[in-house]
Amino acid sequence: MISTEFEYARPKTLREAVRLLGRHGKSARILAGGTDLIGWLRDDLVKPDILIDIKGIGSLGKLSFRQNMLRIGAGVTITELTESRAVRTHFPLFVEMAGMLACTGIRNRATVVGNICSAVPCCDNGPVLMVYEAVLQVTGQEGDREIPMSEWFKGPRQTALRPGEIVTGVTVPKPAGRHAACFAKLKRYRGEDLAQASVAVLRSDSICRVAFGSVAPTPVRAPNIERILTSRMPPEAALEAAIDAIPKETSPITDLRSSKEYRGRMLGVMLERAVKTVASRLEGSGPAYGVNVLDDYTADAEGK
Amino acid sequence: MNKMHYVGQNEVRIDGLEKITGAARYVDDLEFGPNLLHAEIVASPYAHALITSIDTSEAEKVPGVVKVLTGKDFPYKFGLYMKDRYIFAQDRVRFAGEQVAAVIARSPKIAKQAAQKVKVTYEELTPVLDVDNALKPTAKLIHPELGAYPRVPWFFPKERTNIAHWRKTRKGDAEAAMREADVVLEDVYVVPRYAHCAIEPHVIVGLYDLAGRLTLWSASQSPFTQRNVFAETLASLGLSHKDIRVVTPYIGGGFGGKAGVSMEILGAALATAVRGSPVKVRWTREQEFCNTYQRQGLTAKLKMGVKRDGTIVALEHTLHFDAGAYVEYGANVVNAAGLSATGPYRVPNVKIDSLCIYTNLPPGGPYRGFGYSEFHFGLESHIDRLAEMIGMDPVAFRRHNAIREGDTLPYGAEMNPGNLVEAIDRVAADIGWGKKETPSRPGVSTGKGFSLFWKSPAMPPNAASSAFLKFNEDGSVNLMVSGMEIGQGFLTVMAQIAAEELALPVSKIRVETPDTDRNAYEWQTVGSHVTWGCGNAVRAAAREAREKMFDVVHRAYGFDPADLYLENEHVKSRAKPDFTLAYRDFVISGIQTPHGNFLGGPVLGSGMFMPEFTSATGDPETSQGGHPNVHYTVGAAAASVEVDRATGKVRVLKTSLAVDVGKAINPDLVNGQVVGGMVQGLATVLYEDMKFDERGKLLNPNFTDYKIPTARDIPDVVSPIIIETPQPDGPFGARGVGEHTMIPSAPIIANAVNDAVGVRIKSMPLTAEKIALEIAGTYADPHFTTGGRCKMPTEN
Repeated sequence: MISTEFEYARPKTLREAVRLLGRHGKSARILAGGTDLIGWLRDDLVKPDILIDIKGIGSLGKLSFRQNMLRIGAGVTITELTESRAVRTHFPLFVEMAGMLACTGIRNRATVVGNICSAVPCCDNGPVLMVYEAVLQVTGQEGDREIPMSEWFKGPRQTALRPGEIVTGVTVPKPAGRHAACFAKLKRYRGEDLAQASVAVLRSDSICRVAFGSVAPTPVRAPNIERILTSRMPPEAALEAAIDAIPKETSPITDLRSSKEYRGRMLGVMLERAVKTVASRLEGSGPAYGVNVLDDYTADAEGK
Repeated sequence: MNKMHYVGQNEVRIDGLEKITGAARYVDDLEFGPNLLHAEIVASPYAHALITSIDTSEAEKVPGVVKVLTGKDFPYKFGLYMKDRYIFAQDRVRFAGEQVAAVIARSPKIAKQAAQKVKVTYEELTPVLDVDNALKPTAKLIHPELGAYPRVPWFFPKERTNIAHWRKTRKGDAEAAMREADVVLEDVYVVPRYAHCAIEPHVIVGLYDLAGRLTLWSASQSPFTQRNVFAETLASLGLSHKDIRVVTPYIGGGFGGKAGVSMEILGAALATAVRGSPVKVRWTREQEFCNTYQRQGLTAKLKMGVKRDGTIVALEHTLHFDAGAYVEYGANVVNAAGLSATGPYRVPNVKIDSLCIYTNLPPGGPYRGFGYSEFHFGLESHIDRLAEMIGMDPVAFRRHNAIREGDTLPYGAEMNPGNLVEAIDRVAADIGWGKKETPSRPGVSTGKGFSLFWKSPAMPPNAASSAFLKFNEDGSVNLMVSGMEIGQGFLTVMAQIAAEELALPVSKIRVETPDTDRNAYEWQTVGSHVTWGCGNAVRAAAREAREKMFDVVHRAYGFDPADLYLENEHVKSRAKPDFTLAYRDFVISGIQTPHGNFLGGPVLGSGMFMPEFTSATGDPETSQGGHPNVHYTVGAAAASVEVDRATGKVRVLKTSLAVDVGKAINPDLVNGQVVGGMVQGLATVLYEDMKFDERGKLLNPNFTDYKIPTARDIPDVVSPIIIETPQPDGPFGARGVGEHTMIPSAPIIANAVNDAVGVRIKSMPLTAEKIALEIAGTYADPHFTTGGRCKMPTEN
């Protein structure tokens, strides 16, 4: 039960939301899906003066795909995202990730943007948006600006968003040419769980991008590993070198969900399985998007 | 016996439609009107501290607050088997989360806001957080007054220690026999604490009305036991049993967590402070984890000696239960384990020491399995290891040593009927024992694990059941019992038993959840005993009603009662085949004689049952001499698993479980118990785990970090096998089956993982992390530094 007192506003326009936010500053909280915020309110972890519910702002609920650019409005839920034909066709990595994110009830409510605004180290959308090199659109009384995903996370629960600003959406460019991807999430069991560790890998003929979740203060890109995987080394050797480079890219800790030893060890397994799965998907032979290679891994079996 | 029409049939559960449609009502669904008050508890942030002051003045000023109460208002002790608790902490708190004060207000929100304004100052004491520290001679005493606590006669506390109860069981000479053994293995196994995680949190509404009645609507497995504890505790307010009424609507799961009295004492006590207004106490999920009962942690030291031919000759089993801050219920878990920690084996020489140890963790208590789930993990892991050491197949080893009817139990009584050997053979066949499964992909290994299990209800020797039933004008029946429907299908099974005796379809019998004013007495719905105990009472009630029906037919028509029988809702006579009298024609209105008058009247039946052969009078030093347990239900189980050697993830392909239930009154419901118990048990071995910080605070009182199984985590196949060796004193031969089905879950997985990847993990849970790091050789289990001590057979 929520015992703290606060005002509730449901503006109809973005301008009104920005005005309210400007007036209340840090004592305002944006309410979208509420799947994080309501829990924090119940546990007295946040005590805002006002909740600004952005679900009444029609423009924020839009999801579009034009000129190879996906735009996810700040009100778009995980379910809306994964039910979009454009997303299923061109960005299947979202579908794979979303299948492991919480449960149907939460996905029906939680927003993609809200997930990265909460900015917990284990957020599943983080690594995925990072490998797609997505860009956030932000607006405030000072005007509009864009923040690339690579500059978004500043620490656990900390982002580049300034007081008075609101994220209106995120744009995700479709990778050029033939491409494939894989999201692997280490969980304590098959049911819904926060990631003990996660990895997203995206490859095309020209690029390879890798990002990790839950193994650093924020989701992180792994440029060294990307460089190794796109080098001229033979694939097996490159993979081995990439796995060796994991400790340089991550800093796992021991917490309730896992020891740093297990996290560290599993990152190697996850990277290997994800890279091999991406390779087989690029060839058109890999498993359908939506499997968790940590539970049901087939790339090795096909290779042998 | 004639062919049965209702018992043994898969009758559809009578509460099913109500629950599926949402018509079933739970305590929190009940309406109490605008005068309903709400209580919020002020809980201790410390695991161990002295209370130096409580200032409620700021809280009392909050508009909408009705009353703020503390330990001063209720200086009364309570407890089921030992009175070691207070309604509110008095001078000290003994676990983080313990109730120190309560605010009663007009809304839950006001109560919560005001509770934050109650100022409590503490002097923090060093908490005692594990059994090893609690047993040190220098350990801080958690209950300095232990010796003075009222308790049942079968508890043996050690004054001026943290040992609340020490159950010793001695048979033969274990020490001497150990010397004669060819192989001796000694090792330690650790089982952490677990939470029941019933989906419905605890909730109680109390109303002390102006007529002097105290009524409680409680989410409980134990309406009469609650009434008794409330009456004892609040006796000084002038309340007697007749004045207290406990109503228990449907509950959303219990698993032992809603047995006895835990937080419910608050509902009863607070109601007396706001006479005339109902007051609700409803736990949050966090409180559900921290301040009800938890399954107790166990550190078990096992030493077992066997002969080269596979015969077990001796067992020394030392069980240190981390029982928490209060053991008024939990000490009986320790007692139960201490009487039966041989498992279902013939062991001629036994030395069991089962210790109930106070710690500054939340109170331990009953949880499905009641001590047996805990000790079977170590025992059945140990059995596998010993079989391997003597080069014997673990199933053959178990079969060789399996207990049989008539064998002498650890405390000297005789083993009841039950076909454990058949269970072993059928499970071995069902799981394909001896056949290595082909791994589904590279990188995984397959393995199988086996375990036996047994369990008896743990009850006071005079735990009783009773039943009323009454006929209605149309020949239908209302049956009133006070066993609790906790999802197991109790109501349906009682209806089936009455239906069988009364030759009446189940659809013509209404059985509802208890109300102590209306329904007959039942001790509690625990220990998997209600089908047996209450079933006997229902059977007796039905027979009494039947005798009354025969008597009135005899008086009205002159038929010999010995010729009368019931069939298809009619009274019939073997001597007069053309005679038939429908129930509806006489069970209320009687039978008219040729003179115009009527004989008979409303037909009622009442029945009672108490296991008159039991006693708790065993010698405290040996446990010999008493007959503490009514019967054991035995069985066997196995798992077939696949382990990913890189991630340590275990996939349970199949489990198989055979249990000798005596008679399955409703086989579908027995199968439900097998599936539910197995899944619950698999969660305890694979991922559930309570984690406390160094100050005794629970770190994961939520489903974010305390994982309970989802539909995705159920094994591919759960195969139930029902065996029926009748229990002579059970209704239609039935004996208990409820808890049993989760008891072998942990060891079958531990043994299967060892079979698959060759790692023996001796502390639960067997998380993927532990298994992967063990395989890699990098896991340092904080509990273990050695592989156990053993004496190996000499070469010859």
